[in-house]
Amino acid sequence: MADIVFRNVTKRYRNTLAVDDASFTVNDNEFFCFFGPPLSGKSTILRLVLGLEAPDTGEILIGGRPVNAVSPAERNVAMVFQNLALFPHMSARENVRFPLVERKVAEAQIEKRVADVAAKLHIGHILHKPPAQLSGGERQRVAIARALVRDPNAYLMDDPISALDARLREETRVELKRIQRELGKTLIYVTHDQEEAMSIADRIAILENGKIRQIGAPAEIYDRPASTYVARLLGSPVMNILKSVRGEGGVEAAEGTIRIADRAAPADAVEIGLRPEDIKVNPWADGGQGRPARVFEVEPLGGYTVVTLAAGQARLKALLRGQPNIRPDAMVAISCEPARVHYFGQSGGALAR
Amino acid sequence: MSTIQLRNLTKTFGDFTALKTMDLDIADGEFMALLGPSGCGKSTTMNMIAGMEEPTSGRILFGERDMAGVPMGRRGVGFVFQNYAIFTHMSVRQNLAYGPRMRGAAKAEIDRRVGAIAELLQLTPLLDRKADRLSVNILQRVAIGRSAIMEPAIFLLDEPLSNVDAAFRAVMRTELKQLQRQFKQTMVYVTHDQLEAMTMADRIAVMDHGVLQQVGTPLEVYNNPVNVFVARFIGAPGMNLLKGKPAESDRGLVVDLGPLGVTPPLPDGLATTLRGARGDVLYGFRPEQVALAQGGRGLAMPVTFVERIGARTIVHLGEGGGAVKAVFDNDVGLTIGQTAIVAPDASSVRVFDAASGVAMKAG
Amino acid sequence: MSAVTVTVSEDDMGAALAKPALRDEGARLGFRLTLPAQVLVLFISVFPLLMQLYISVTDWSPLSGLGWWNAWEMWNSFANYTDLAADARFWSALKRTAIVMIVCVPAEFLLGLALATLFADDFPGKRIFYSILLMPMMVVPAVAGYMFFMLFQSGGPVNDILSAISGTQVTIAWLSDPTLALIAVMIADIWQWTPLMFLILLAGLVGVPEDQIKAATLLGANPWQRFATIVLPKMKTIIIIALAIRVIENFKIFDTLYIMTGGGPGVATETISVYIYKVTTQDLIWGYVAAIALAILIVLSIVAVFAMKRMARARQVAA
Repeated sequence: MADIVFRNVTKRYRNTLAVDDASFTVNDNEFFCFFGPPLSGKSTILRLVLGLEAPDTGEILIGGRPVNAVSPAERNVAMVFQNLALFPHMSARENVRFPLVERKVAEAQIEKRVADVAAKLHIGHILHKPPAQLSGGERQRVAIARALVRDPNAYLMDDPISALDARLREETRVELKRIQRELGKTLIYVTHDQEEAMSIADRIAILENGKIRQIGAPAEIYDRPASTYVARLLGSPVMNILKSVRGEGGVEAAEGTIRIADRAAPADAVEIGLRPEDIKVNPWADGGQGRPARVFEVEPLGGYTVVTLAAGQARLKALLRGQPNIRPDAMVAISCEPARVHYFGQSGGALAR
Repeated sequence: MSTIQLRNLTKTFGDFTALKTMDLDIADGEFMALLGPSGCGKSTTMNMIAGMEEPTSGRILFGERDMAGVPMGRRGVGFVFQNYAIFTHMSVRQNLAYGPRMRGAAKAEIDRRVGAIAELLQLTPLLDRKADRLSVNILQRVAIGRSAIMEPAIFLLDEPLSNVDAAFRAVMRTELKQLQRQFKQTMVYVTHDQLEAMTMADRIAVMDHGVLQQVGTPLEVYNNPVNVFVARFIGAPGMNLLKGKPAESDRGLVVDLGPLGVTPPLPDGLATTLRGARGDVLYGFRPEQVALAQGGRGLAMPVTFVERIGARTIVHLGEGGGAVKAVFDNDVGLTIGQTAIVAPDASSVRVFDAASGVAMKAG
Repeated sequence: MSAVTVTVSEDDMGAALAKPALRDEGARLGFRLTLPAQVLVLFISVFPLLMQLYISVTDWSPLSGLGWWNAWEMWNSFANYTDLAADARFWSALKRTAIVMIVCVPAEFLLGLALATLFADDFPGKRIFYSILLMPMMVVPAVAGYMFFMLFQSGGPVNDILSAISGTQVTIAWLSDPTLALIAVMIADIWQWTPLMFLILLAGLVGVPEDQIKAATLLGANPWQRFATIVLPKMKTIIIIALAIRVIENFKIFDTLYIMTGGGPGVATETISVYIYKVTTQDLIWGYVAAIALAILIVLSIVAVFAMKRMARARQVAA
C-alpha cells in the first residue's frame, strides 16, 4: 500500500507560511495533481513528501507509516526532475541501473528490475544509447524508468512539461497519463497549467497561498467549484463572475443585461458565476426583456469563437461553438440556463441552490 | 507608413539554412504572428527585421526604405525579448526612461512619458522598485513599456509569454492586443503556441524548417490549410488525417480508408482533380467538426483515451495510423474501450495529396 | 538564448529561504574534511601573528641573548608604537608607498579595462596577442626587477629608444635620480601587473548579459552609453575585487623594486616593505619591526573589509 497522507502539515520559511495546515490523502495508484498559481506551496509540498524538508507541525504518513523523521532515502519516493537530470556520460541503461547500483543490489536483481521497467516503458530497444542520442520523449521515459527502478511507493513530478512547445505538451501529457495507468503507481504531479491538470489527474488539490482550497476529480471541481478563487482557476476563458442582485423570480446582473429566472437561487448570493460556454448569445429582438449587451470583440479560434460582450459596465466572455456569424457592435441578448449558474456568497464561497 | 516587406529573405549559418527565401508583406498597423515549432526560423526572421542579424541574401523594407546597412539602434523598432532583458541593476523607472534618456530628452519630458506608460501598464506603484526583485509578470510589462515609450511604429515581440504562467498568459494576451489597437503599431509576434496566434493576430504566417507555409487570417489557416503541416499545427488538437485511396462508387467519389472499413464521400468539387489519380490521399477533418452518429454512417473506432478539459472533452479514438481525435461537449459520456461512431461534417472535409502533403483544391 | 533568466520560480524561493536537513549534513562533512587544512593555516598564520603581537611590546632583538619566548623580560609597554608614530623615515616610506599605489593601480586598471574591452570581440591574431599579453605576469618578480634594472641603465635600451625618437643623445640616469627612479619602478610594476587586471576585468566583462546590451542598443544607446550605463554597473563587483587585490599587493611592493634600486638612490624609492626589510636585516630591532608590521596589517585589513562591504552591496545592485 502506498498511499500518502498529510495531517495538518504546516511549513514556514522565515516569515512566510509556505504550507498552511494541509491535510489530504493521495490514494494508492492515483494520479494526484497539485495545482495553483506560482508560490502557492506546490513545490514545498513535494519537498515535504520527498523528505527534503521536515514539517513544522503535523504528520506525514507513507503507506500508513509516519515518516516525519525518516530520511529521503528511506522513504522510497522517487522524483523525476523537470530537466530530467540524466547523467550525460552514461548510457540509458546505466542511468536506469544507477539507483540500484548505488544501493548495492545484487547484479541479477538489477538486471531483472531494469528489464521489467524497460518493458513497461517501451525503452528496451534504446537502452544502449546515451541521452544525447535520444529524443525528448525517450529521455523522459528513461528518467521515469530510473525513478521507478527502485520500485518506489510513489513518484513525483514537478512541472515536467511546461518547458516544451505547446504541441509537444499536448502529446506528452497523454503519454504520461498512459504510462501511469500502465504502471499502476501513485504519481504526485505539480503543474500550473489548468488544462494539463484537468486532462490527466484523477484528483486535483487546489492551492492558495499554502492552503488547500478544494480536492476532487477535475470534473467535480470544474462543475462545482467551492469558491470564486477555485472557479477562476480552472477553465479557459476564465469564468465570468459578476455582482448579482435579487430580481423578479431570480437574480439579475450586469445592470439587467443578465436575468436568470431561478426560484432556487440562494438568498444570500452576492455574486454569480457563468462559464463562457454556458452563456447563450442571441441577436437582440427589439421589445425583448431586460437590456441588450453589445458585442465588443470577436476572436475566431476555428473550432470555437470567443466573444467579448460589453454588458453594462462589465465585460463578459462567451465561448461559442464553431464560427457563428457575429459581428462587433451587434446588440445581443445574453441568457444562461439556471442550472448552470454558480452562486457565491459574501466571502466568495459557493452557495447551493 | 510602417509596412514591412520581406523579399527573398534568406539566412544560412554555414551549411544550415535557417530561413529559405521568405516573402512576406505586413500591412501598416497589422498584428502579424510568426507561428511555428522550435527551429522553424521565426526568431531568425524577427532578429533580421530588428537588425540583430544580417540576412545572407534578400531585402527588408520598412515602407519604402531598404534596411540594408541600417544598424539596429537606428531602425526605430521596439523589441521585447523572450527573457525580457530587463536592466536588472536599475529601477523600473530607470528602465522605462532608458530609451528617451539615451536620445537626450529633457528630464521633465522623460518624467511625463514614464508616468504615462506606467499608468497604462499598471506599473505606477512599482516605479521605484529595483528590477531584479520583481515577478516575471511584472517584468513582462516593464519590457513592453520600455519599448513602447519610444512609440515605435513597429513592435517586435519574441515569444514574450513563454516564461509566464498559464493563467497570466490569458490576461497578457488581452492587454497586448489592447495596446496594439490603441497605438496602432505594426506588431510582429513570434510564438510556437497556435492558440496565442489565433487569439491575437490579424494574420498568421505559419513556418516550418525555414520555409513559409501559409499566410492568412486565423480563420483562413484554420478552414483552408494549404498543406498537411498547417492542417496539423493549427487547431487544438490539429486536423485528423487518414490515409486512403480515392475510388468511384455509386454514391460518387469516395475515399477508401482501407482497414477502417469505410468509404466516406469526398467533396464534389474535387472530382475532376482526383479522377484517375493514382496516389493515396489524406482525408482530413477537424476534431471539432465531427458528430457522434448513433448507429449511423461514420467511422467506427474504439475509444482509447478521454480528456475532459473544462468546457470540452477530447476523445482519442483508434490506434496508430488510424488514430483520430474528436472534440465534444462534456455530456458525451464515452468511456475507454467503448466503440464510437464519428461522422465528420461533410462540408469541412479537406483532402491532401499523401505524397506531397499539399491540399487538393477543387478544380 | 541567454542563460540569464530572471524568472522567480517557486522552487527558487524555496531553495533560497530554506535550510533543508541535507544542507546541514553537507556543511558538517565539509568542516570535517577541511579540518587538517584549517589547523595548518592556523599554525602558519595565526601563531606567527600572536608571536609578533607579543614581541611588538618588547625591546627584543636577536642580539639580546634571550630566546624570543623570554622577550617579556625586555618589556617596554607600547614604546615601539609611540616611536613608530614619531619615526619620520617610516612616514616617508608610507608616503612613497601611497604615491606608488595611487599611480600604479589606476593605471593598471584603466589599461586592463581598455585591453579587456578590446578582447570582448574577435579580431585577427587574438589568441597570439592574448598569450603575449599574459607573459609579463609569468615572469618572476625578481627577474623582472633585474630586467628593468638593465633596461633603465644610462647606456641601456630605454635611453637608446628615446635617443632614436628625439634625435638627440639621451643619457638619462634613471636609477640615480630620485624622481626618475620612482617612475622607473612604477613602470615596472604597471608592466608586470596590468595583465592580471586585464584577466579579471575580462572575466567580468564576459559576464555581462548580452541580452541587456542588445536591448540597450535597440533603445538607441551608442557604444559609450552602453558601456557607462550597462557594462560598468554590472562589472561593479569584479572591479572592486580587482582593485582590492591590486591595492593590497601593490602596497607590499618589494621584489622588483629592491632589485632595481635597493630602495635608492638614498631612500628615494624606499617603500614600506623596503624599510621593514632594512630595519629587520640591518638594525635587527625585531620588536620594533613587529610593531611596524602589525600597523601595516591593520591598515590593509581595513582596506580589505571596506572592499568586502562595497562588494556585498554591489552584488545586490548588479545581477
